[in-house]
Amino acid sequence: MNPKENFDSNFGEASVPASRLVTSLASPIDASCRVPLLVLFSGAALWLVVGLLLSLAAVMTFHKPDMFADCPLLTYGRVQPAANDALLYGFCIPAGLGVMLWIFARLSRAELALPLVPVVAANLWHFGVLVGVVAILLGDSTGFVWLEFPRGGSALLFAAFLLIAISAVATFGQRRECELYPSHWFLLAALLWFPWIYSTANLFLVAWPVRGVAQVAINSWFATNLIFVWLALVGLGTAFYFLPKLAGRPLQTYYLALFVFWTLILFGSWMGITVSAPLPAWMSAASSVAAALTLVPVLAVAIITFKTVRGVPHGGISCKGEPFCYIKFGTAAFVLSALMLIAEACPQISRVIGFTWFGPAQVQLQILGFFTVVMSGAIHELLPCVMGFGLPFPKLVRLQHWLFMPGIVLWAGSLAVGGVAQGMKLGNPQTAFADSTAAALMFLRVGTTGLLFILLGSLLFATNIFIMTLKWKLALFKSLLAAFKAPLATPSASASLRRDRAVAEGKGGEVKP
Amino acid sequence: MNDESKSSNSSRSDGEPETVRSTTPIWIILLTLMLLFLGSVYFDHHSGWFSSKVYSPYTSKDEVELYQPKSGAAAQAAHGRQVYQFVCGACHGVDGMGKPGQAPPLAGSEWVNANGFHRLAQILLNGLNGNLQVEGKDWNLNMAAMGAGLSDADLAAVLTYIRTSWDNKAGAVTADDVKAIRAAVGGHPSISAAQLKTIPE
Repeated sequence: MNPKENFDSNFGEASVPASRLVTSLASPIDASCRVPLLVLFSGAALWLVVGLLLSLAAVMTFHKPDMFADCPLLTYGRVQPAANDALLYGFCIPAGLGVMLWIFARLSRAELALPLVPVVAANLWHFGVLVGVVAILLGDSTGFVWLEFPRGGSALLFAAFLLIAISAVATFGQRRECELYPSHWFLLAALLWFPWIYSTANLFLVAWPVRGVAQVAINSWFATNLIFVWLALVGLGTAFYFLPKLAGRPLQTYYLALFVFWTLILFGSWMGITVSAPLPAWMSAASSVAAALTLVPVLAVAIITFKTVRGVPHGGISCKGEPFCYIKFGTAAFVLSALMLIAEACPQISRVIGFTWFGPAQVQLQILGFFTVVMSGAIHELLPCVMGFGLPFPKLVRLQHWLFMPGIVLWAGSLAVGGVAQGMKLGNPQTAFADSTAAALMFLRVGTTGLLFILLGSLLFATNIFIMTLKWKLALFKSLLAAFKAPLATPSASASLRRDRAVAEGKGGEVKP
Repeated sequence: MNDESKSSNSSRSDGEPETVRSTTPIWIILLTLMLLFLGSVYFDHHSGWFSSKVYSPYTSKDEVELYQPKSGAAAQAAHGRQVYQFVCGACHGVDGMGKPGQAPPLAGSEWVNANGFHRLAQILLNGLNGNLQVEGKDWNLNMAAMGAGLSDADLAAVLTYIRTSWDNKAGAVTADDVKAIRAAVGGHPSISAAQLKTIPE
C-alpha cells in the first residue's frame, strides 16, 4: 500500500519508507512520547477488543440463555461487569492518559518529562486490569458497580495512575507558554479527579466498608463522577484540542470553554442518584437539581463545537471518515448521552425508564459513542506524528468510522428505545413482569448487530496499532543493526542513535496482556 | 500539522490550537441563574430539608407525619408492628407465616385466635418447649422468653398486633392486662406444650 495515495495530505511525508527514517521525521517533542504512548495504546487496543468480546458474550445470554450455562466463567453476572471494566479501565483510561501525555507535551512545547515513568506505569496499569478482569471472571468481584476489581487490582491501578500523573504534571511544569489552553484545565482536573474519587470509593466501599445505605450513595457518586465527569473532562479536553486544530480555526470561545469547565465539575459531580434510590429524599432532590443545571454545560459544549466547525469544509454533517469526523461524532454523542442522563434524573421520566435498558444504553453511548470514538480519532491523528511514519492501513480509519457510527447508533439507540418500551409495560399493572422483560428482546437483537459492527471496527483499530508497533520495532532493529555495522558515525547520527537506544531500553517490559 | 495559514489570528505558527476571546453570550448566564432559582424552588418542595426520615415519594417531614397515627388503636397497631418486626419477625416472618423448621405460623393459628390471651402471653413471658400442634402440624421446637424483656406497653402492642393482623380475629390486649399477667406468672421457667393446655385461655 502507498500511504500518500489514500491518506490525507497531512502526512505527505509518510510516503518515505519507514525503515529509513524512524526518528528523523518526528519532532523531538513527538518522539519523546513514542514509547509510553505505544505501550498505553497497544494495551488499550487489546482491551477494547477483549471488552467488546465479553460484551458480546454477555448479550448472547439474552438470545440463548443456556449457551454458557455449564461454564461459570461466562455467566452473565461475571461477564457483564468484566466487559464493562475491560472497556473502561482497559481501554478508556489508558487511551485517555496517553492522549493526555501527548497533548501536554505539545501544548507545553516541551519534551515529555520522565519518559520512562509512564512506560513502567502503563505496564503496571495493564497488568492491574488483567488481574482485575481475571478475578471478576473467577468470581472474586467486590460487587460494587465500576469497582468490581479486587483490592490488589485496584491498588495497582491507583499506583500506575499516580506515576503517569507525575510525568504529566512534570511535563506541564516545564511548559514554555505561560498561558493555559482550555484543554489544560480539563486534563489537569481529570488528573486530580481520578485519584480523589477512586481512593475515596475504594477506601469506603472495599477497604473499610461503611454500613447500610451509605454504600449506595458512595457507589452512585463514584459511578457518576467516573463515567460522566471524568470521561467528559478527558474527552472534551481532547476534543477541544483537536477540533480547532483539524478545523484550522480557533476554538470558539475561550470564555465559553471556561464556563463549561466550571459548570461541568460543579454540577455534574452531584448527579446520579435517582428518585428510586433507597436514600433520603434530599439526596435525589439535590441530584435532580444538579442534573437540570448540567443542561447548561452540555448546551455550551454543543455551541462551542458548532461554532468551531462551522464554515469549515466537511464541518457539517457530511463526512469522509477522517479523524475530524470521529471528534465531531464523539462530541455529538456526548451531548446526547448527557441529555439521556439528565432525562433519567427527572422524576417523571425516571419512573418510566428506571430499571430498564435505558440506563445501560446511556452508559454505552458515553463509553463507546463518546469516549472511544473521540479517543480513536485522536490516536489515528497523533500516532503518525509520534511515530514519524503514516498508519499502515490508512483506509481502515475511514472503514472503522463507518462501522462505529452505525454500530453505535444501533447498539445504544435500540437499547434506549427498548428501555422505554420495557418501561411502559413495566408501569402497566395489566402486563405480567415477564412480558415487560420480553418487550426489550427485539431491540436487544437489533442492538447485538450494532455491537458486532463496533467489534469489527475495534479489530481494525487494533490491527493498525499492532502493525504500526511491529513496523517500528523492525525499523528500530534495522537501524540499530545498520549503526552497529557502520564503521564511523557522524556526531549527529550518534546522537539520534543514543536516543533510539534509550527508547529501546525503555520498552523492555512491554506488556501483552 | 494542519496548514497554519487558516488560523489567521494566530500569533504562533507551530500549529497548536488557538482560542478566540469574545464574550460569552449573556443568555446562557441568565439560563444558569434561572435554572438555579427553579432548582432551589424544587429542592425546597421535594427535599424534606435534609430529614433522614423523608423518603421518596414523600416530600416533606410534615407529609410523613401526616400519615403517622397519633393515638388510639391505629397508633398501637403501628407500634406493635415495629416491635413485631424487631423482635418476632426474624423467625415468624414479617407476614406471620412462620418458617419451616424454625417457627410455626401465627397467621390463622388456633393458639393466637383463642378467646383469651393468657396462653399466648405466657409463651412470650416464659418461653415454650416440646411438641406443639399448630394448624394440624407438629412443631417440636424451643422458643426463648422473647417477651420477658419488653415493657408492658410494648408487649401489649405486639400481642394486639399478632392477634389482629393477617386475618386473625382475636381481640386487643391492654398494658394493664399484661401487667396483671406478668405479676401472676412472670419469671416462671419455660413451659411445655402439655402444660400450656392446662392454662385457662
